Amino acid sequence: MVHRNETRSIPSRRDFLKQAGISAAAAGFVMGLPSLSRARWTASRKQRLVFIFSPNGVIPDHFWPKATGSEFGFERILAPLSDLKHQVITLKGLCNRIKGDGDGHMRGIGCLLTGIELFPGDVQGGSDTPAGWSMGISVDQFLKNKLQSVAETQTRFGSIEMGVMVPDRADTWTRMCYAGANQPVAPIDNPYQMFDKLYGQSKNRQLLASVMDDLLDDFRKVESLISVEDRHLLQEHVAMVRDIEKELELELSHGQLADVGHAVPGLPPNIKEENDNMPQLTRMQMDMLVSSFMADFTRIASFQITNSVGEPKMRWLGIDEGHHHLSHEPDTNEAAYEKLIKINTWYCEQVAYLAKRLAETPEPDGNGSLLDNTTIVWTNELGKGNSHTRDDIPFVLVGGGLGLKTGVAHAFEKTPHNRLLMTICEAMGHPVSSFGNPDFCNDGVLTGLV
Amino acid sequence: MRLVRSSTHLFAIALAVTLAPVSSSCSIFAQQPNSDAELIARGQMIYTKMCVECHGAGGEGVSGAYERPLVGDLSIGQLAGEIDRTMPEGDPSACVGEDAHAVAAYLHQAIYSEAAQLRQRPAKQMLSRLTAEQLRQSISDLYAHWDWIPKPENKRGLSAQYYKSTKQRKEDLAVERIDPVINFDFGKDSPGAEIPAKEFLINWNGGLKVDQSGQFEIVVRSTCSFTLHLGRHDRKLIDNHVQSGDKTEFREQIRLTAGRIYPFHLKFIQRERKTELPPASISVFWVTPGGVEQLIPSENWVPDWMPAQFATQAAIPPDDRSYGFERGIKVDRDWDAAVTSAAVEFAQVAANELWPNYQKKNKDAPNDNRQVLKAFLRETLNVAFRYSMTDEMAAKFVDSQVAKEDDDKLAIKRVLLVGLKSPRFLYPQADLDRSPSARAGTRLALTLLDSLPVDQHLRKTIESGELESEEQLRGMAWHLINDQRVRAKTKAMLYEWLGLSAPRDRKKQPEQFAGFDDALVQDLQRSLDAFLDDIVWSESSDYRQLIVSDWSYTTARVQKYYGDSWNPTEPFSVAALASATAVKTADHVELKRTSSRQFHAGVLTHPYLMSGLAYHNSTSPIHRGVFLLRNVLGRSIQPPQDAAFSPLSPDLHPDLTTRERVILQTSPENCAGCHDRINSLGFALENWDASGRFIETERNKPIDPSGYYINRLGKDVKFAECRQLAQYIIASDDAHQAFVRRAFQHFAKQPPAAYGPDVLDRLTKKFVDSQFNIRSLLVEIAVVVSTPSANSEIAAK
Repeated sequence: MVHRNETRSIPSRRDFLKQAGISAAAAGFVMGLPSLSRARWTASRKQRLVFIFSPNGVIPDHFWPKATGSEFGFERILAPLSDLKHQVITLKGLCNRIKGDGDGHMRGIGCLLTGIELFPGDVQGGSDTPAGWSMGISVDQFLKNKLQSVAETQTRFGSIEMGVMVPDRADTWTRMCYAGANQPVAPIDNPYQMFDKLYGQSKNRQLLASVMDDLLDDFRKVESLISVEDRHLLQEHVAMVRDIEKELELELSHGQLADVGHAVPGLPPNIKEENDNMPQLTRMQMDMLVSSFMADFTRIASFQITNSVGEPKMRWLGIDEGHHHLSHEPDTNEAAYEKLIKINTWYCEQVAYLAKRLAETPEPDGNGSLLDNTTIVWTNELGKGNSHTRDDIPFVLVGGGLGLKTGVAHAFEKTPHNRLLMTICEAMGHPVSSFGNPDFCNDGVLTGLV
Repeated sequence: MRLVRSSTHLFAIALAVTLAPVSSSCSIFAQQPNSDAELIARGQMIYTKMCVECHGAGGEGVSGAYERPLVGDLSIGQLAGEIDRTMPEGDPSACVGEDAHAVAAYLHQAIYSEAAQLRQRPAKQMLSRLTAEQLRQSISDLYAHWDWIPKPENKRGLSAQYYKSTKQRKEDLAVERIDPVINFDFGKDSPGAEIPAKEFLINWNGGLKVDQSGQFEIVVRSTCSFTLHLGRHDRKLIDNHVQSGDKTEFREQIRLTAGRIYPFHLKFIQRERKTELPPASISVFWVTPGGVEQLIPSENWVPDWMPAQFATQAAIPPDDRSYGFERGIKVDRDWDAAVTSAAVEFAQVAANELWPNYQKKNKDAPNDNRQVLKAFLRETLNVAFRYSMTDEMAAKFVDSQVAKEDDDKLAIKRVLLVGLKSPRFLYPQADLDRSPSARAGTRLALTLLDSLPVDQHLRKTIESGELESEEQLRGMAWHLINDQRVRAKTKAMLYEWLGLSAPRDRKKQPEQFAGFDDALVQDLQRSLDAFLDDIVWSESSDYRQLIVSDWSYTTARVQKYYGDSWNPTEPFSVAALASATAVKTADHVELKRTSSRQFHAGVLTHPYLMSGLAYHNSTSPIHRGVFLLRNVLGRSIQPPQDAAFSPLSPDLHPDLTTRERVILQTSPENCAGCHDRINSLGFALENWDASGRFIETERNKPIDPSGYYINRLGKDVKFAECRQLAQYIIASDDAHQAFVRRAFQHFAKQPPAAYGPDVLDRLTKKFVDSQFNIRSLLVEIAVVVSTPSANSEIAAK
């Protein structure tokens, strides 16, 4: 169940007391204290941000709502978000105006979250000049650093960079996030590797705990294989193993190992990273992202589906050609046009899946759902594939993390996307006077969003 | 309290220094300050008179009186208090105060303390877990088992292919050659014939030979795109696929394990572009553990294709070295945690690299009930446990664990966690259930390689049960010895012998020793390394050559600093190389032989040693003397009584030579006892200054390098200068035995006496009879350690 505007809603007194673990009898005293007043309560609201990337531009006519304001309807591609319309913001008219080195795809992804030029380099695309990495930090990494610098918003990982079927090749087309100039951040696209990063330590401890009996049994047997005189070292060793076993038991019973508790997702076994497994890989990754939010591992995430110029072959939709290849076809190629709508609709379904999972998952502190405190920013390196335009970059926001007014379709006039990056920073509590190239930031944050 | 502390301290030191034979520990106590010796003698007298009746002459106890042995861990002071208060029974006032203290001191030294117990007990083999190095090596071989282990060879450099395009097509291959190092500055020019400057690709392939275990840093400086793979052909260490902006320096740290050749692949690409082409340059440096940055020298490159290698990245804590060699005799939490992380890490790499390969090879094999996975894991554990598991064991270690995990990779992790934390892996000597051949094979591999018996021939011989007789063992040891891992272990042993294991400060006063810098020190170390390798791995492998060789290795930098006495016997060829290719010569260090009877006496006069055994502004005959006495001649000496001792400053005694100054300082009676023995040896090296330069005068006085040595049998030997001393050393029983003992301890990680009272003498005699063949010595040590009788002895206990 999703309730509109729950994000900003104020919980009842009883809800609050329940969350704060305060008995009704004590409540009379406590409520008088300013430190537990409502102001602080809303200030401590968790704010989360997820950037989802899908490649190669969209089919604008079937992507953007025809109307603006709150009375708009979804076209085919965004239809999967219909149930969540009240949580959606579409932002048409934002343009990636960054010039300089690199072809359209490279600048499309490399400047998308950084808002700044690429360095000259040696990666030569199909057109334009060769380029290297971005000259600046991306907005997700910038906010990660900000959140990590404050105790209340610190998390174990700060940010999580996920991917799906990202080619095993570090180049300008495969990297969206940057920790700084010339510092691309590689997304992890193997769910098992992601699992290890998130839960590896706890899992290893659990695994260790579960093999202790067998180990101790083995020690007993091996003791007979050495002389009596020599056994003291082995006995010391056994005593240590027993101590560790006891500690692990204690950890387990106190739930320390289960710091992530029931939220540890069970991954299906032995799924290979192959084109045809893409739907399943996407699910696995998204489920882990939801769990990470529940465990408050991070407040910032990126989710990169393939890469700029990505070539997934969506055979599960009956499409045998690669996406990038199709995206170059002229609009008059009706078959390709239709396939591109289907492909982009599939991407939207993934966005909707994540949004719904977040909406169905209560915030662990009881403050609404995860989606109420999370904004998904779904974006793309191009406005349209066959023209390589970086005007009308697809920006679709879902959820209440940023606290912007949702359920609205906006249309801007050729506005630099840097201003959206600034808006995001401000909404996350870290306003900036510019983000990326300052030349595109003169007009400040976007207006009319709150 | 002071007495208590200092004497226990002394005991500990005495123990560390001598390592055992009873005779030498006696000599230590004979040299103790008179007051202590007197106290102990007095205590012994009182003990004999008043205590023996109830406690026995050796404190072993007397039936019907006090039956328990007199052992414990009270300090001398506490023990004295007890005696004062309670002893002798029935008449405590008969032994109080000074007397009680004397008895306590005697008991502590001779009977009561743990140190005394250790001294009294004959040396025996001690059960040990894998040492840190053995754990690293074993895990590396658990990985290498699935491929093959390359034999050492003498080819150097990297194989290079230069392509005319960035496509690596066969028809574009323009140049194929061996490059000695990677250090090129092509500028905006073509890197070679027919290759366009605007677009090319160079592959450097081969192996990186690593001689010591530890943390390395690989440093690449490149103006163009490159990717560097290390350890496996798809294991990327540095990815600069995209050349971007001004970023030209790339650093990555990685732990590597000694005696391994890691596959290395560097792909360097100048890409054609629409903008102006930047100049192309690339160089590959490294920082070895404890070293400073240097171009990776050609000795460490091998141009052949190498099988994949794995080195654990776990930080394994250092081992107990209280006996002067590493032993795995302690287990604690840190160590346990390191084993766990090494196991988990290995499981990961097994799941990601070994298992997919195995699956490919067995893709047509029947796979009911995941039997392919089980077979893979069973073989892995067979290697780790050093023998073939029974079906019952496999059911427990493999089948039942696999059944608990649906995911193959998790199953691999579970099995390897149980397996690598099992005592069957960690305690190689826990093997009473094995065949004699299996036990001998385990010990041979552990002794020579610090590792598992993964060698194919060794494994087959173990299975056929033909590794029991001494001849069979010897044959196998000779088979195993030609191995990069043995070479690395031998190098480590020689470093122990030369006192080079721990870093020494070689900084010199800049005015007096201008040009003696880090780069020169690196060259010196390489010079010494090459010298040691040449001698040990030459046909004769003659220990004596280490001491008396009149040649060494020089480099252009060494020649520049040390002058004509270090001229190469043939000219350096770097200049020719530079004109033929675009190799930058500045960092390229070429080793050439240099020879002179006057300037070189093997390792003894090598500047890498001499500069370490010296102060920043003067030589140190004491350090040099201690090195000769203790390391080379194997004699024990105790540390100075006053630990806060500092040398007299040369500036305060401008008229004195170093020799005269040292004599002045060590002349007091309580110093001279030891220092006469030390100085008289150290003075022989006075012709080599604090940086190892040959000098004939000091402060306008001629150097006096004469000295003497009194051997273990009390025979007095005089020598006029260093070469005479060197000649004496190679004929000296003391020196031979010291070398054999050092080698034994390092390779067996047990004292020789643990294998029999005459083992050291027997091995020394064989060493002499073999014309001091070092490899033959290592073989004989391995034979002693793995001989069944030695094993059954320990088992029978």
